[in-house]
Amino acid sequence: MRTDHSEAVSQPVLIFWIIIGWVGFMVLPWYALEDVFFSFEWLFDGYPFDSDYAPAAFLVTQGEKLWLAPLVLPIVAVLAAIGRVKSDPLYAKILIASSAFGFAWLLFQGFGIGLRGWQFGTLEALFGPLGDRQFGMGYGAMFMALSFLFLFTQGVAARGAINGDVFVVSAIGGVIAVITIFVFFPIAKMLTAAFITEDQTYSVVVFLSKFLDDRLWGVSCLSGGGKCGVAWNSLFLAVSVGAITTVLGLVFALVVTRSGFKHKRVLRALTVLPIITPPFVIGLAIILLFGLSGSVTTFVADVFGIQPTRWVYGLPGVMIAQVLAFTPIAFLVLIGVVEGVSPSMEEAAQTLRASKWQVFRTVSFPLMRPGLANAFLLGFIESMADFGNPLVLGGNYDVLSTEIFFAIVGAQYDQGQAAVLAIVLLAFTLGAFYAQRFWLGKKSYTTVSGKGDAGVHPTMPSRLAIPVYVVAIVWALFTVVIYCMIVFGSFVELWGVNNTLTFKHYVTAFSFSWGDGDIRWTGAAWNSFWTTIQIAAIAAPLTAALGLLTAYLLTRQNFAGKSSFEFGTMLSFAIPGTVIGVSYILAFNVPPLELTGTGIILVISFVFRNMPVGVRAGIASMSQLDKSLDESSLTLGANSWQTFRRIILPLLKPAILAALVYSFVRAMTAVSAVIFLVSAEYDMATSYIIGRVENNDYGLAIAYSTTLIIVMLVAVGAMQLAVGRTAIGRRMSTKPES
Amino acid sequence: MVDIINSKAASVRFEGVSKTYGTDVLAVDDISLTIEPSTLVTLLGPSGCGKTTTLRMIAGLEIASKGRILIGDKDVTKLPATDRDVSMVFQSYALFPHMTVMENVAYGLNYSGFNKAESRDRAIAGLEIVGLAGFEKRLPSELSGGQQQRVAVARALVLEPQVLLFDEPLSNLDAKLRRQVREEIREIQQNLGLTVVYVTHDQEEALAVSDRIIVMRNAAIAQEGTPRELFEAPVDAFVADFIGEANLIPCQIEKVTGEMADISIGDYQYSLPARGMSPGAATVAVRPSRVQILASGTPDMISANIAKATYVGGHMEYTLDTPFGALFAMSGDVDQPFAVDQEVAMSFSGSGPVLLPKR
Amino acid sequence: MKKLTLIATGVMAVLMSTTSTVAMAKDKMTLYCSAQDDWCQLMVNSFEEATGVDVSMTRKSSGETFAQIKAEAANPKGDVWWGGTGDPHLQAAEEGLTAPYVSGMRDQLNDWSISQATSAGDKTIGIYSGALGYGYNSDLLAANNLPEPACWQDLLKPEYKGHVQMANPNSSGTAYTTLATIVQLFGEEEGFEFMKGLHKNINQYTKSGSAPIKAAARGENTIGIVFMHDAVKQAVAGFPIKVVAPCEGTGYEIGSMSIIKDGRNPESAQKFYDWALSAEAQTLALQVNAFQVPSNMGAETSPSAPDLASIKLIDYDFKKYGSSAERKRLLQKWDDEVSVLPQ
Repeated sequence: MRTDHSEAVSQPVLIFWIIIGWVGFMVLPWYALEDVFFSFEWLFDGYPFDSDYAPAAFLVTQGEKLWLAPLVLPIVAVLAAIGRVKSDPLYAKILIASSAFGFAWLLFQGFGIGLRGWQFGTLEALFGPLGDRQFGMGYGAMFMALSFLFLFTQGVAARGAINGDVFVVSAIGGVIAVITIFVFFPIAKMLTAAFITEDQTYSVVVFLSKFLDDRLWGVSCLSGGGKCGVAWNSLFLAVSVGAITTVLGLVFALVVTRSGFKHKRVLRALTVLPIITPPFVIGLAIILLFGLSGSVTTFVADVFGIQPTRWVYGLPGVMIAQVLAFTPIAFLVLIGVVEGVSPSMEEAAQTLRASKWQVFRTVSFPLMRPGLANAFLLGFIESMADFGNPLVLGGNYDVLSTEIFFAIVGAQYDQGQAAVLAIVLLAFTLGAFYAQRFWLGKKSYTTVSGKGDAGVHPTMPSRLAIPVYVVAIVWALFTVVIYCMIVFGSFVELWGVNNTLTFKHYVTAFSFSWGDGDIRWTGAAWNSFWTTIQIAAIAAPLTAALGLLTAYLLTRQNFAGKSSFEFGTMLSFAIPGTVIGVSYILAFNVPPLELTGTGIILVISFVFRNMPVGVRAGIASMSQLDKSLDESSLTLGANSWQTFRRIILPLLKPAILAALVYSFVRAMTAVSAVIFLVSAEYDMATSYIIGRVENNDYGLAIAYSTTLIIVMLVAVGAMQLAVGRTAIGRRMSTKPES
Repeated sequence: MVDIINSKAASVRFEGVSKTYGTDVLAVDDISLTIEPSTLVTLLGPSGCGKTTTLRMIAGLEIASKGRILIGDKDVTKLPATDRDVSMVFQSYALFPHMTVMENVAYGLNYSGFNKAESRDRAIAGLEIVGLAGFEKRLPSELSGGQQQRVAVARALVLEPQVLLFDEPLSNLDAKLRRQVREEIREIQQNLGLTVVYVTHDQEEALAVSDRIIVMRNAAIAQEGTPRELFEAPVDAFVADFIGEANLIPCQIEKVTGEMADISIGDYQYSLPARGMSPGAATVAVRPSRVQILASGTPDMISANIAKATYVGGHMEYTLDTPFGALFAMSGDVDQPFAVDQEVAMSFSGSGPVLLPKR
Repeated sequence: MKKLTLIATGVMAVLMSTTSTVAMAKDKMTLYCSAQDDWCQLMVNSFEEATGVDVSMTRKSSGETFAQIKAEAANPKGDVWWGGTGDPHLQAAEEGLTAPYVSGMRDQLNDWSISQATSAGDKTIGIYSGALGYGYNSDLLAANNLPEPACWQDLLKPEYKGHVQMANPNSSGTAYTTLATIVQLFGEEEGFEFMKGLHKNINQYTKSGSAPIKAAARGENTIGIVFMHDAVKQAVAGFPIKVVAPCEGTGYEIGSMSIIKDGRNPESAQKFYDWALSAEAQTLALQVNAFQVPSNMGAETSPSAPDLASIKLIDYDFKKYGSSAERKRLLQKWDDEVSVLPQ
């Protein structure tokens, strides 16, 4: 009964992509529309002859943009593939040759010809001045690019790659394409921007003079007197924060897993809270507590008669805020690791006459090393990328992320400088990323064997337990105080000046009224609020889908270059948001891809920034699914796409949920990349809040943040309901009882 | 109802097939074989011999690096699993844990062009064949191991594959169930006339279910034949030892007369079918059950000493110290066993021992 | 099938709605706004209400907007650039990125606004102006028993050590205006001596121009050198801020507006230009607590706004100190001679 697709002459997928290519060339407007992406105004405004809206075919026949004409060749050529069987060698050759030519020409003309004619001097010298120009690519170009890409992968599949599996080859091709466009291309663009001089030429000398500047690398703070370089500041801060958060994270993980502590749930809730808090809100609370006029400062000054100082501005303040904000991340990483250490190993050590302390020191702790390294790396990168806390608390302690921001938006408007700083930042995080891989690469720390482990984790030795309890309780109280401040702050008139309770800030932000049977959103925050929800809601499923697809390719398929593929997908994990923001501005501000000022660029930045988490979650759960499940689906006649959809996805719901929640929350709380990419039309909550903070409008900022926290809690719960659980009975295992 | 499931049994042919992983790991080395339609052929061998890779190449889960694979008359060498008309029962059963028994069995039917009603009828028929009618609504986790196994068989069966593959299907079952299920598999295969390729490392299982057995060793075929041929006429010491146990004793062929060869093992003289061998050093393989032990014997018998005696219920197992080394023997006489250290006389039965090339 | 029907209805709905919007297509224009966000938004909404012209607005700092207009010169997408300090507007006029236009509203405008226009060949015009000065937190000043400052020179007194904040001239236009003002007021030699003296008392060079007074408002700083209207804003918001117009005299900025050359909607652009110069439009500033001095003499001003007439203004040389060469030289000098000194 089974149809053999290799000899079938009906080729729905092939024909679909050929049609897409033709539609792109003949029907859709070739260039990006000036206004919004999802607008259909062009249909009624001079289409198809107006050169703003015209499809490529109309442009060319009217004698405009003649460089688009060669694109007709590949889409005509691929027609020859229709009706041929896949095993025909010509089939693959036609597809590969024509789509590769089409794609290459598309890129060549896109990058070669820009807003001011030829983009490169060599081209101008070769062909003379062009006297014409073009804008960013639009629907038409996008459809054609997709068509070429997937025709190409079909050709490659027909040649026998990955057993001729069109879905897998296309998925690999697609992931490589998007990662190249949205991760590697912007980074490359940023690297070149660092060499651009003021008169738009390239110069290594300019780069070196910026790169070796004393403001970056100066060490005069060591000898006393001057300030140290920004790079050193950032590095020192990030290392300290990484180390402190790791230690604190470990402390809480130990309390939760290895103690008789009764209120573990409370502790867990406390650790989740900062994750769903816009990061700089903690910075605000710290000012309100420890600033020159902060509650604690004033209290201490009154009681002890000490002159208040601005000690909190600078390194101490930023460090406290970051530690508070990022400890939960370390905790979440470490709790899995601490739980994962096989109890029977610890029990074995105990039966070998090691004391509790010795067991911890010689067995448990060394086995936690990969988790510690991971936690440190996360803290390090988060601190490097953090933008909000240094902004409000930094004082004269300059760090790379804020310097980058002000190089772009400040009076200097020096993109080259921003690029140089971003390169330094990227070098630090990538360095840490590599160091971690190198350190962990050699040893195996696997302790979970898949067999049931009947042991019980021993409790902590008292030598460890007492300091751990003290730290945990102090920190927990501190967090509680901070959050009380945040909530309280949102209900007072004017913090520190007029402490009357009021709903004023909530009203300003979120008021609405009824009029003409419609709700009118009159509050100041609604605009950015809806945009944020919308963008987060679009980005989250995309992130999860891309992450899980990539995880599927990495765990289930073998192909040449898989390890570089993996590295590429994990790379954006080590790229701080600030760098993403800068590189996106540099890369997508000009044709062929004009995305700045749109909502799309925000969605894209979230997708690629958070994708690695989806990949990791996917890999973790997929490697627990027996591979024979896929194989049996394949031998039963489902193709790999059907297998992915009907077998893998339903069994991956926990991973899907994790990826969804994470990317949703990150999209709502992220600052560092967002701050560069927002526009008046697409303002995000965080950048709006930062704006309010800059305007001294703390009440509104905090009220908004509090609302966001509640919204996120609700949304996470709703997502849990929506994804649901896959009924698989008592056990996940597919093995029979033994 | 059951009648709607038929067989489209086809032959399987390998022509010089090799499979390499990476650049140098040779999993299957230049294998050629033919599996006749409607037979059950077992691939037997120790782990790592390439039998599972061979099976997966029939399924299309691995693609051969060299050579041609034909199912029926069709060259499927480069065809992925999806497009081959082959079903497989996995060692772990690979039942989809999130689908009911019914959904599992109907899964493949949905991709084979059957409409909903047909899929349903066929799935129910399949479940009837394996004796699980009425279990449609259960989840796999609510079934016992043997039941899960049957669902897996039904799921593969209902697609009426040209070839049905079994990858160590019984290894997760307990000993009693194993015997029962293997008989059922054999019965279904014979009733429906299926072509079945069966992988196992258990020689008893192989002997019990197969029409033919292919013994594999080091990525190549060691011997192919009916169970009896393999058991009684192994081509070499490896096959002799792998199919049932055998004592492998070095011997000397003194002279060959017609079909028969006179051999000597130490002082002991013996006559065996020559199997085309010429005088010189050789090996004789003797099944433990073909070693006869007497309390006292004639002078042409070998004297031996009982080193170990084990009572295993149905028979006695002995280890004998003989002039040419330790020998493993079995005896049905459990009522009057020999004692350890007892001096005995020993000989080989008239048929059974086989002459093999020198190891 | 169900899905298909759904998609079909969806497409229909979209088509219907776009048809209906197209049917009543309006005039439109694109505004590049470089003032504070809420002010930009208010201007857009009020203009749309007043004229029915559809405005799509992008808010970016004046530096960014200048760069964008320059990049788009071959195919301008914006029509009007409203707000932001005068320097980049003058630069755009110089480079021919903006178009000359003489509005009928000119007779209602202050002299400084007109002179801004004439100096740029009518390619830009002043819409508001604000004088530089500083503000202090009177509570903190009292708590620390400090005298009330009144002049620039007062800020050098050793008792203010660690109490003064200004922005970094490298990152803030406000701070650059401060530097240029001091240089024009005291001469370059003496001006830099002043900056060095001030450096000793500075507790932080902030990134953004108005941050020092905001910190002062919250009680995190005592004295902030800023544009006076920023200080007034904090005082009006209820913070204990006193605004000082330094006795030696001070510099100022002229917030400007230009029409972008070869824009797509020149008529709407002129409509907006005229409207933005009207008293009614400029009075809107009060709603968003923008205390700059409006260029229309008829516009209402807040009683709290600094009265430019009573402030001793220097004759600020916008041409010289707005040029990028001079700017670079002064900043470099400040970097080399002032910022490296120990505090």
